[in-house]
Amino acid sequence: MRKWHVWMTAGTLLLSGELSLNGKLQAAGWNMPVGVTDISREVHSLHMTIFWICVVIGVVVFGAMFYSLFRYRRSKGAQAAKFHEHTTVEVIWTAIPLLILIGMAVPATATLKKMYDASEADLDVMITGQQWRWQYSYLGEDVNFISSLATPREQISGDQERGENYLLEVDQPLVLPVGKKVRLLMTSDDVIHSWWVPELAVKQDAIPGFVNENWVRINEPGIYRGQCAELCGKDHGFMPVVVQAMEEEEFDAWLAERKSAASEEAAGADREWKLDELMERGEQVYGSICAACHQPNGAGLPPTFPALAGNQALLDDREHHLDTVLNGVAGTPMPGFRTTLSPVELAAVITYERNAWGNDTGDVVQPSEIAEQLAE
Amino acid sequence: MWNTVKSVLAAFFGVQRESRRRQDFTSGKPISFILVGILMGILFVVVLIFIAMQAAK
Repeated sequence: MRKWHVWMTAGTLLLSGELSLNGKLQAAGWNMPVGVTDISREVHSLHMTIFWICVVIGVVVFGAMFYSLFRYRRSKGAQAAKFHEHTTVEVIWTAIPLLILIGMAVPATATLKKMYDASEADLDVMITGQQWRWQYSYLGEDVNFISSLATPREQISGDQERGENYLLEVDQPLVLPVGKKVRLLMTSDDVIHSWWVPELAVKQDAIPGFVNENWVRINEPGIYRGQCAELCGKDHGFMPVVVQAMEEEEFDAWLAERKSAASEEAAGADREWKLDELMERGEQVYGSICAACHQPNGAGLPPTFPALAGNQALLDDREHHLDTVLNGVAGTPMPGFRTTLSPVELAAVITYERNAWGNDTGDVVQPSEIAEQLAE
Repeated sequence: MWNTVKSVLAAFFGVQRESRRRQDFTSGKPISFILVGILMGILFVVVLIFIAMQAAK
């Protein structure tokens, strides 16, 4: 009777300990987050269940081992038992782990089934990994943008104090509505990336030539940060994921604004642009898209990423420059940007490259010229 | 034949009685264990597929 009492007390203590311990581990960043979706909660509770099963097994196995070592030590005159095979014991120690594994597999499979069911989504977002940024397309909505690292270079080089969200901040986050089922379609333009946001319990590989599916239904508005989780080259650590979840009305307003901005951008392709305007816009585009490889000063990282400053092959041949930026260079890491950037952005960044860092060609590439080339 | 099946099942489970093992190694032919093993392996996979298909319905 008294023994039972001790065990019950120990069990209760362990359980209450679990609750407070869990909170502490989370605060210290040691445990996986509970997250903000129903799935992430399930994943977390599975993780904790299996963790405690492992703890109990560990205590029982090592407890039995250390007790035997101590209780039956040679100085107390213990004699080793000499027998060979004991079928009953062997059956028991095979059957118990089997039952434990099945016991863990049943709830895990139930959750997995839910995770894989991406049907009947309210919104489809295509996520494309690129070296080294993410592109988000809201399918059927004509909204499409690139999300690049926003941490200033001075913080990375150590010339400036690191910010709160160092390497976990982007210029344009993925914006999603709360309470809606959002299907995430993932692919890649170059190598394998992995789109990972712990708070959403989503970690999905983005593989060139394949489209992987996943989905989220976010319960609480907020900003959720993640990273690329598949080693993808030089700037693998510099392509974070930021998801901003907002209420539905707010999201609809955001989407409408993005759509009108996109049509304004398209309209901008028709008018004549001045050199200054293009240079200003081009510097922005260059900073978020090109600078990771070709460097902010245009010096590149030869031989993989050639210099643009003083690059006579480009400066002497305007067509070659346009072709390189629009279509990329086969067999090199240089991708084509004809589908990822707008005509205005393309014209601006090419103009910028032809006039920055002492290139001074005075060339102006008009968005209308790019639009014509894209239409061909 | 039935004894071979029982021995293969014991091998699947991973536990075998010593007396039975001795018997298998003295009286049985290796080829019968190999064939029964392969057949039962296939049967096991088919049963798993069947269970999974039932569960998916």
